Amino acid sequence: MLDASALQRLGIATASTALALAIGLVVVAAAGYDPATFLMDMFEGAFGDQNSIGRTLKFTTIFILVGVAVAIAFRAGVFNIGVQGQFVVGGFATVVSILRLAPLLPAGTVGGLALLVLGTAFGIVAGGLYAALPGVLKAYGGANEIITTIMLNFIAVGIVGYLVEGPLRGEGNRAPNTARIPEYVQLPAVAFDSPDFSLVGLAVALVVVAIVSVVMIRTRFGYDMVTSGHQEAAATFSGVDAGRTIVSTMAFSGMVAGVAGAVFAIMIQGYYSDPGGVATYGFDAIAVSLLAANNPLGVVPAALLFGGLDSAGTHIGINSDVPPQLIDGVVGLVVLFVATPELFRMAARRTGLGGERR
Amino acid sequence: MSVAGYVERNRLELGSAVAVVLLALVLAVALDLPLAAIVTVGFIERSLQAATPIALAAIGGLYAEKSGVFNIGLEGFMILGAANAAAFVWLLGGESPTQGDLWLAILGAVLVSLVYTLLFAVLLVRYQADQIVAGLAVWFIGLGFGPFSAVLLWGNRNSPGLVSMNDVTVPVLADLPLLGPVLFDTSPLVLATAVVAVLAWVVLYRTRYGYWVQAAGENPEALDTAGVSVTRVRYAAVIFSGAMAGLAGAVLLAHAGSFTGTGDTMVNGRGWIGIVAYLFGNYNPIGAAAAALLFGGLDMLQIQFQTAGIEVSNRLVNLFPYVAVVVVLTVWGSTRMPSAVGEPYESEE
Repeated sequence: MLDASALQRLGIATASTALALAIGLVVVAAAGYDPATFLMDMFEGAFGDQNSIGRTLKFTTIFILVGVAVAIAFRAGVFNIGVQGQFVVGGFATVVSILRLAPLLPAGTVGGLALLVLGTAFGIVAGGLYAALPGVLKAYGGANEIITTIMLNFIAVGIVGYLVEGPLRGEGNRAPNTARIPEYVQLPAVAFDSPDFSLVGLAVALVVVAIVSVVMIRTRFGYDMVTSGHQEAAATFSGVDAGRTIVSTMAFSGMVAGVAGAVFAIMIQGYYSDPGGVATYGFDAIAVSLLAANNPLGVVPAALLFGGLDSAGTHIGINSDVPPQLIDGVVGLVVLFVATPELFRMAARRTGLGGERR
Repeated sequence: MSVAGYVERNRLELGSAVAVVLLALVLAVALDLPLAAIVTVGFIERSLQAATPIALAAIGGLYAEKSGVFNIGLEGFMILGAANAAAFVWLLGGESPTQGDLWLAILGAVLVSLVYTLLFAVLLVRYQADQIVAGLAVWFIGLGFGPFSAVLLWGNRNSPGLVSMNDVTVPVLADLPLLGPVLFDTSPLVLATAVVAVLAWVVLYRTRYGYWVQAAGENPEALDTAGVSVTRVRYAAVIFSGAMAGLAGAVLLAHAGSFTGTGDTMVNGRGWIGIVAYLFGNYNPIGAAAAALLFGGLDMLQIQFQTAGIEVSNRLVNLFPYVAVVVVLTVWGSTRMPSAVGEPYESEE
């Protein structure tokens, strides 16, 4: 997919999504529901009114951040399947640090702002460190990062789940949740009057995209990263330390996942719950990044698509009988087709639609 | 591959395995853990049961990888296998399915697995899909459509209690001390898995077909020159691996007795552990089954800790297998993969 032209990529992404949706509709019909109503419900759930749009943008914000986290690693030829775990650890660290620091700082706007910044910083550090671990294991132990990052997801969910159930459960909480972060630590509502979405969160995500793009394109570090992904031998010859690049790539990727965790914890939850029940943004992120051909800028439209799908899924879960898990399956199909560009190239050649270039 | 040869080649692995067991023993004595209460016949039986699905998935996965295709979709195929088996049990037996229904459901789940692993194999072999990404996609598809079908059937991501596999007792042999209750008074699926592991070993290392599989992964050009279709060998191996993972999911269901579709579903990472099991077993089916037994045992420790009255949070004990996988991969990370893994092969004609 990386060797395709921009236009080809767009075509493959569109065709993959369309084909996956078409299969989804067939499944809907086979399960005895009306596919036309289902499509209408999906559109309404994603963009129907201000509420839906706010919800779509809320999911989009998280998808942009986790998608960029995945894209950084994939770009460098490292598979970070552990974004979910880094996202959980980052978000949890954010909540815990805000809860611990809150009594030390003045309440009110200034204190709130300080706590936002400090909490996010802790989230970034925690996410980065948790991602650096599989990086170190790969670089110096030869451990396959695909498997270790997946195992570390399970481990992160288990440990954070244990902590919110027992030692760090908020006082008097029946549910396994931490205490709530103070009222004054929240993102201001702009344009959307929603308790769990703020345009400021979306702006943070876009700023991160810009920073990551600049780092990848304009800095020595980014250049080394991408070269070692594409031409490992060449990178080694030009003096890049392969092991160190792997570790720093993973750490960078995990830091962005940490931002995602922080935004999720502050903007959406306001406390931390058992991560076994938290949506699997970190996995969908892989689909987001692939759809964007691992380009940080391309992640934004891809995240909007997935944000829309998830928002539609929420709407469908409430307003129709079709099980919303269908959306997860459709996401899987999108990934499957994105992994198979050859399928569409051949189809294009057969039908004579711009298949002349390979 | 003789036993002596295997020991010779895997000295480091075997040595470390012995070291781990010794370390565990020393720790147990140092911490004064009630060993007798932990290592019981029941524990060994439960460990064997827990190891069964992992071993089956691992054996399938290692065939695919030996043939040059990394089937990282084992976890997804296991979820679909478990969901399909549960659906078949329900459709055949309704509220009160019988043992016969369960056997038919396992068979049905494997047949359905054959169909979609055929499609998967076409995408991998013919259309040269990125093996890693396509395998992950299968996981997502399983995580989505597994619970989806459960909601369609039962209105809930979990099935009601269905039926679980009865133990079979082999007369006379079951009365043997220790081995009797463990091996001859147990789920027939455990015994079947042991047979499958041995058969898989024989086929891989002692038959012409097994040499083809190995050649397809090590030196596809040579196999092609010898007049054997690399593509066909790879198709067969990928389809076998998916069907085995489907069987593994069905077996998991048969032991559990109901389908769980919440969280990471009832499969809960066992497919991934299966991949590690065959890496740990150095692509040897019997080694993979032994590694699966290690992970199965770790998985069952929590029950032993409870009955022995050791106060550790369930959630933390549940993490043992995952932590073990990370440790195993780091210590044994440099297992040699077949040299042509991940590379699509195009015949010259």
